[in-house]
Amino acid sequence: MHLAEAIGIALETLRSHKLRSFLTLLGVIISVCTLVAVVSLVEGVNGYVGEKIAGLGSNTFSVNRYSLDEMTDASKFMEAQKRNKPIRLEEYRFLLDTAHLPQAIAASVGRNSATVKVGARSLEDVHLSGQTANSIGMAAYKIAQGRFLLPSDEQHRTDAVFIGNDLLQHLFGDGPALGQTVYIDGRPFQVVGVASALGNVFGQSQDNFAIIPLGTYQKIYGDQDSLDLQVQARSAALLPATMDEIEMLMRTERHLGYADKDNFGLIGSDALMNLWHALTGAIAAVMVGVSFVFLVVGGIVIMNIMLAAVTERTREIGTRKALGARRSDILRQFLIESAVISTVGGLAGVLVAWLFTLAAGALTPIPFSLPITAVIAAVAISSLVGLFFGIYPASKAAKLEPIVALRAEV
Amino acid sequence: MSTPAAPQPTVTLPRAGGEREVVIRTADLWKIYQMGSEQVAALRGISIEIRRNEYVAIMGPSGSGKSTLMNLIGCLDSPTRGQYWLGGQLVSEMDDDELARIRNQEIGFVFQTFNLLPRATALHNVELPLIYAGVPPQERSARALEALRQVDLGERVNHKPNELSGGQRQRVAIARALVNRPSIILADEPTGNLDSTTSNEIMRLLEVLWERGNTIVLVTHEHDIAEYAHRVIHIRDGKVAGDAQTARGKAREAGAARG
Repeated sequence: MHLAEAIGIALETLRSHKLRSFLTLLGVIISVCTLVAVVSLVEGVNGYVGEKIAGLGSNTFSVNRYSLDEMTDASKFMEAQKRNKPIRLEEYRFLLDTAHLPQAIAASVGRNSATVKVGARSLEDVHLSGQTANSIGMAAYKIAQGRFLLPSDEQHRTDAVFIGNDLLQHLFGDGPALGQTVYIDGRPFQVVGVASALGNVFGQSQDNFAIIPLGTYQKIYGDQDSLDLQVQARSAALLPATMDEIEMLMRTERHLGYADKDNFGLIGSDALMNLWHALTGAIAAVMVGVSFVFLVVGGIVIMNIMLAAVTERTREIGTRKALGARRSDILRQFLIESAVISTVGGLAGVLVAWLFTLAAGALTPIPFSLPITAVIAAVAISSLVGLFFGIYPASKAAKLEPIVALRAEV
Repeated sequence: MSTPAAPQPTVTLPRAGGEREVVIRTADLWKIYQMGSEQVAALRGISIEIRRNEYVAIMGPSGSGKSTLMNLIGCLDSPTRGQYWLGGQLVSEMDDDELARIRNQEIGFVFQTFNLLPRATALHNVELPLIYAGVPPQERSARALEALRQVDLGERVNHKPNELSGGQRQRVAIARALVNRPSIILADEPTGNLDSTTSNEIMRLLEVLWERGNTIVLVTHEHDIAEYAHRVIHIRDGKVAGDAQTARGKAREAGAARG
């Protein structure tokens, strides 16, 4: 009935006291802004990471010495260190011979501390790995020049090397690299191929690597380091069955009893995603909690301003009652007013958050988006806060006796 | 007697001998306030009757209880004892929401301080009682416009109170009192905040409204204002101290008897 009237009064009140309105709404603005910005941030980063992890392939998983659980929990890791054995070349061969479901199984082993030299130029902390020839099929990069390692490189433990884009830039300055000799930790290798550039993830270059045949690597650095196996299922639908088969074969190979836990780890891209979500979920939960504290503070400020409005407009309330307004009419008017004020704060908060995501999107590679659900939720929550904290002032206004209200000195 | 149609407002004069219906009837009305441990009686048994289309002034010095009586007549307060019928309804027994409905439909208030909503236009101020009566928007503004025309403010419907003079503000308030076609118009010191020229203007307007058939109850402490009415009820110490016709009332009755 007088919804439009109450909304009009609320907006008029906000307009006529701009600074006061801003200060009143600051709490709601900050909390809604935090809420929306955090959701936007988490969604954006999740999308970014999800894209990167999906680059691993949705139908591949890895077999590692430790499971993800063991790697992210210190006490489990201590325990696993004693129990889990490194994955050996023989185990890789056993899986190759016995597993039926995988499309392919690749093996790799690596270190982050290689130094690569060409003439006077050198690059340190290069990620050097020994890989089987089929690992290219499961890798995120493509071949930009030349070729990848071949099964024959693997067989003959050749000195072929496939390099990442950073090495091309730093060591050859974009000049011809194929067939050139590079020295890795002092040993000569022939460049057979160059990878396409992958760029950075969180500021970490993904192109700073050199790949040599697995056998060559083990000949130089020994075979004590655990292998990482990449297993490709024939399809995403067959992934669970393939994981089961590999797990079963690994347990057989290692003679694990029925009640023994796995002493190795299977990590699928979904497990990585789950870990990531758990991490960002925790951050989001904390920020959402913080923004709710702001929201309560904002609500209390709104309650305060509404109490002032009731006092300021006691005469108006008396007049309205004399003209026939019932308690419920007055109650509704002030509730709507409080909700409208708070909702305006919510909208302002969304606007600030939107500007923030625009700025963040322009300054970082992360694709920030403003999810419409977050916007709707933020506005709904802010109007609910207004309603809730408006109850006391509105009921105070509704309970005023008409004669008392009419005689009020304002 | 048949007179040719004259270009004058229709004047409803009382038919001699024919009694009109009673609009307000109070029976032994008491109002007792609790002041700490003491009880103070503001009204001590008021019994009055006011008929339709009467023009009555309630007079009395401050502290006499006239304001308390006005609050009771206006259904803004409930009596401690006694009964009050307004238009045949026993309002002294009603609860808050029913009283709000009675105030909305049966009473048109005119206050000393106008009590207009400062941020609303004249039209919106006049619409207010209709909003609470649940009148649909189109009919609402049509009726509010009509009421503003009745008080000669048809040209100022979109002005806000601070853009109007004191007399114009009070006329907006009177239009607001008229708009719901109430049983009584209850004017509480309607000229208390106005200069004498404007006061006369407002009092003439009330007279016109009376001529159009409205029942007017005027609360005042000024003799010359009370003289506009046809009957004055004096209140003193919470009791009726006098109830008599004014010079105008006598003249009108004489005219009616002759007519």
